[in-house]
Amino acid sequence: MDKTYIIGRDAVPSDIRLAEGESMRLTLFVPEGTDCALDLTVSLDGPGASLDLAGGWRCNGSENVSLKVTVRHNVPGCTSRQLFKGVVGGSARASFDGLVYVAPGAIHTDAVQESRTLLLSDSATAEARPQLEIYADDVKCSHGATTGYLNPEELFYMRSRGIPEAEARAMQVEAFLAPILNRLV
Amino acid sequence: MNDLLQQLSNQEYKEGFVTEVEQEYVPKGLNEDIIRLISGIKQEPQWLLDFRLNAFRKWQTMPEPHWGHLKLPKIDYQDIIYYAAPKKDSERPTEIDPALMDTFDKLGIPLKEREVLAGVKSKEVAVDAVFDSVSVTTTFRKTLADKGIIFCSFSEAVREHPDLVRKYLATVVPAGDNFFAALNSAVFSDGSFCYIPKGVDCPMELSSYFRINAAGTGQFERTLIVADEGSRLSYMEGCTAPMRDENQLHAAVVEIIVEKDADVKYSTVQNWYPGDAEGRGGILNLVTKRGLCRGENSHLSWTQVETGSAITWKYPSTVLLGDHSSSEFYSVAMTKGRQQADTGTKMIHIGRDTRSRIVSKGISAGHSENSYRGLVRVNPGATGARNFSSCDSLLIGPDCGAHTFPVILNRCPQAVVEHEATTSKISDDQLFYCGQRGIGPEDATALIVGGYAREVLSRLPMEFAIEAQKLISLSLEGTVG
Repeated sequence: MDKTYIIGRDAVPSDIRLAEGESMRLTLFVPEGTDCALDLTVSLDGPGASLDLAGGWRCNGSENVSLKVTVRHNVPGCTSRQLFKGVVGGSARASFDGLVYVAPGAIHTDAVQESRTLLLSDSATAEARPQLEIYADDVKCSHGATTGYLNPEELFYMRSRGIPEAEARAMQVEAFLAPILNRLV
Repeated sequence: MNDLLQQLSNQEYKEGFVTEVEQEYVPKGLNEDIIRLISGIKQEPQWLLDFRLNAFRKWQTMPEPHWGHLKLPKIDYQDIIYYAAPKKDSERPTEIDPALMDTFDKLGIPLKEREVLAGVKSKEVAVDAVFDSVSVTTTFRKTLADKGIIFCSFSEAVREHPDLVRKYLATVVPAGDNFFAALNSAVFSDGSFCYIPKGVDCPMELSSYFRINAAGTGQFERTLIVADEGSRLSYMEGCTAPMRDENQLHAAVVEIIVEKDADVKYSTVQNWYPGDAEGRGGILNLVTKRGLCRGENSHLSWTQVETGSAITWKYPSTVLLGDHSSSEFYSVAMTKGRQQADTGTKMIHIGRDTRSRIVSKGISAGHSENSYRGLVRVNPGATGARNFSSCDSLLIGPDCGAHTFPVILNRCPQAVVEHEATTSKISDDQLFYCGQRGIGPEDATALIVGGYAREVLSRLPMEFAIEAQKLISLSLEGTVG
């Protein structure tokens, strides 16, 4: 199953359940100028179910983007992969709240979550709450979260090769979001 | 293996004894008269009484916090004795009750100025020993005073250095900061006060040891540490309590002020009584610890080893106000039985080029719940701020829980914040490998956990590191099922 939702255009279900052996590739994207408060729960209800979830957001004005994603591992032997990348500029505010829940007895769970945010301006705010709630011992779970800025060395490299600053910055942002954008086409 | 689990349930908490000593109490309950009474016993000046009453009025309007990942038992604040002190025959420090002397001796805390913890003789440690609501003695005061260092109980500091106390009290943790800090501000009894003057490198480790003894009481101590420009200090804190079927409340406040170029290291080995295997009794450890890196280049390092308490609710935090200031937080939290821990840190970046590092290692066994909760906040002006956090959890047994709840709030486009967390268990392969080499499952687990926690344990002062290592391997006994 492969689903793509552009927030502001498509209605996103709030509750997705995967049965035994089912696998899903899910992509979410919040384009510029879209305010949203998304609350999505994906439950892995059957053994061997797997989820590949990616999400991105790009804000440059005064957007208020809030993404709340809960992935529930309810049974043994499920896999989930999550990647979120956001770029926040202008006076926008973006918050990502991602919970990985592993139910008692859901052993052999393999869950990875990654969220990365770029801050582009002084008045932008980025908030991340990556959370793990784990009630089973034989599991492999990890999450990572970063917020940072455009690498000045990359910018210098491009400018020294005659690429104007604005264009170079746009390229950096595009490259940063590429892992998500590539899934939209 | 079931035998081993059985052993764990019956495992002894060796600090769980009660000292038979005559004590005086204030009546049960909490109201303005009790606060006036405590303040009166301690012969406090009016401004401090006003501070207490003001905090009490704030506290009355505040709700008890329940946002932690904890099942907090109902606390009846009117059913607690807020002040208990051993009766004394004459003025201290000339005479210490031999029973108290024995107590601290048994706990390995030297009240005479001689050897130090764990038989390591080379270094001296100054101790402020707090028994229920009063400080019993503070050692090495003369040696320290020669260097201009003030190290004494909080009550003495109020009497002898009122200006200093008044200048710094509640500047880091305001009276109305949170529910338990407000409660502490209203009823705090004793604690330690420490002032390191400009440019002084404290010649020995300073430490506070807290002991709860009386039944039906709570301990509400307050510690205030001020490190003036260019000074250095390493401070340690330890604590234990008797085994009882009732929960006892411990709501402390620690405030640390670090001025320009000063360096403070604060280490805690927390070993309050954790309750029995079914979760009866144990200390409710609800404390507020916060440091302010006020000056440029100031540095504050927190190291904590949490093995005790039925419930731990503790977030040692640093406000990085001075430019180029830095802070670290190293933590090992071990829970077993029915213990619950919700602990972590807050790093607030305000100054430019401020740096912080968080390393948290959680170990859960039995039916316990162990959570890391943290906040990294970067304010708009904190250009060049940098944070790295790493939080790992280790699960031992199928019935425990391990959780990670970090919050990252970044408002500065020239700052980098990184967080990573993993959860895992001791694998059968690791145990098998050790087993093949003749290392039994118990020792193998201790070995693996020791390695897992080493990054944090190695930060502890030597005297503490040995004790902490022992505590952890003792706590692990029988957890392998």
